[in-house]
Amino acid sequence: MITRQFGSEVRWMLRRPRTLIGLFGLILVPIIISFGIWTAGDDGGGGPGLAAIIEGNGMVVPIFTLFLSLNLLLPLVASIWAADGLAGEAQHGTLRGLLVAPVSRVRLLFVKLFGLTAMSLLAVTLMAVVGIIAGTAFLGSDGMATLSGTTLSTGEGLLRIGLFILLVTFQMVSIGAVALAVSSATEHPLVVQAATMVTIIVFQVLGQFSSLDWLHPFLITTGFPGLIDVMRDPIPLGQIGDSTLLAGCYLLIGTGLAAIRLVTKDS
Amino acid sequence: MTTSTSAPVTAPSKHAVAARTKGLRKEYGSTVAVDRVDLELPEGAVLGMLGPNGSGKTTTIRMLLGLVRPTQGEIELLGRRLPDGAEQVLPHVGALVEGPGFHPFLSGRENLVRCAAFEPLLPKKQIKQAVEDAIERVGLAQAAHRRYRGYSLGMKQRLGLAAALLVPRKLVVLDEPTNGLDPAGTREIRKIIADLHAAGSTVLVSSHLLSEVEATCTHVAVLHRGTVVAQGELTELLQAGGSALQVITPDVEKALSALRQAKISARPLGDGLRVELAGTSAPQVIETLVHGGAQVYEATRWKTGLEELFARLTEAEEAERGMSAVDTLDGGRR
Repeated sequence: MITRQFGSEVRWMLRRPRTLIGLFGLILVPIIISFGIWTAGDDGGGGPGLAAIIEGNGMVVPIFTLFLSLNLLLPLVASIWAADGLAGEAQHGTLRGLLVAPVSRVRLLFVKLFGLTAMSLLAVTLMAVVGIIAGTAFLGSDGMATLSGTTLSTGEGLLRIGLFILLVTFQMVSIGAVALAVSSATEHPLVVQAATMVTIIVFQVLGQFSSLDWLHPFLITTGFPGLIDVMRDPIPLGQIGDSTLLAGCYLLIGTGLAAIRLVTKDS
Repeated sequence: MTTSTSAPVTAPSKHAVAARTKGLRKEYGSTVAVDRVDLELPEGAVLGMLGPNGSGKTTTIRMLLGLVRPTQGEIELLGRRLPDGAEQVLPHVGALVEGPGFHPFLSGRENLVRCAAFEPLLPKKQIKQAVEDAIERVGLAQAAHRRYRGYSLGMKQRLGLAAALLVPRKLVVLDEPTNGLDPAGTREIRKIIADLHAAGSTVLVSSHLLSEVEATCTHVAVLHRGTVVAQGELTELLQAGGSALQVITPDVEKALSALRQAKISARPLGDGLRVELAGTSAPQVIETLVHGGAQVYEATRWKTGLEELFARLTEAEEAERGMSAVDTLDGGRR
């Protein structure tokens, strides 16, 4: 029964015109990045960090794309899915139908969380795959250069990309879980998206002030830059672990709040 | 059975009940949506829930389906207490609450498939067939492939009904099912309700259309200002309200004095008089009239329509404020 509900949820999300348009928009990002670096190639390009090693190194494109998108684009997408999941269903009156079917409220939350996870994974994977293809096509590829100056074999590079996909998806799902908590408390999907985006932006601004150092370990956005450690050789696990742990806390808190709200909700 | 006394009228049934509420109360902030709702829905009945807009019909239904938690009171649905038993009984309940709710970007059929995926009683293999059957049943076959976005109000209503009928149900709850339907659609809904009744399902229909309820229901519950002011079998309620005899006679004065002597209350009306049958019977009245020398051309049992009953229940106390049951309740709340 639950697999059938999971299936229905994902099918429903994929049937949404805005999901398809959104996914299409997302896969444009690595293409544009590859194209941009390719055209700028002659100027020497470069700069610190990833941008320095990306030239002539198509395998870095998916990592670079996801790393950039995690700051704004992916949280936005997660918030849209979370918003449609509960607030949107409430707005259309379809939430009542599900509850009367009946789907228990806790299970409904898990169905929504599953949909969010599956779609996030799909979106991130799509971006990565298109990134590999576009990056290789525009910039060529000969293994994967790391930030530590070594070069990994293609197979090992793919493994790194796979790991990064999982890490980014987890961050996205955690943000989405908090958005689901907001979503369970309103009938207006836009409120959910606005609240999520404002939070992400405010967190990033707060992250800039060194006087607020004590606050930084609690901001999910603080964990984003550390994820780039997958591009070092060998991978230092400290920052990646911290970021993932922090995201896990957001996931638990978001899910918990959503469950409490959903169980007591009148619909 | 009188209907404007201090206690709500109840005609308890001897049969098993499909749903029962006790002392149901729901507050939204400081407003009381419903209060002291004691509803009884006998198994196999078609209960019409009547009430003006805002009388608490939908709130009561939402509580009955476990969508809304009552502030106070108990709910029993198909033999189980809610909300604990919701998962056991709700699969047997089909509902159309507060208008149909569907996804605009999906077709009618796809919407039903999504509903069906969440129906615990529907095996996966039967989903397709069940959806087609439901579409057929509500007469939506022509439009099933079109997007819900473009549906007319009547088509939306039919789709909502189809979703409620995806699985054979023990209880079907329809909140304003004929909203937005043309007369043909209304007749079809009546037929569907009649079919459900014939198949042994219990049906709860809420409506503010009296003719609707009169035509389809075996039982009635009248809600007013958030409480039940009358409920029971339709025929009983109507008789209770209509124990009067209309007598056509040219000798109104003679008739009145004869009746007054026999201590039967009557008043002039039209070409004759209206005689209350409380404490007496029709043959007795006629005998009295004939003995009193009044010529009786015609005597008919006064039939109260549901409309009259409804008007009396929901408007009477507006005139005599502070006197009726509901007003006293209102007073107690504040």
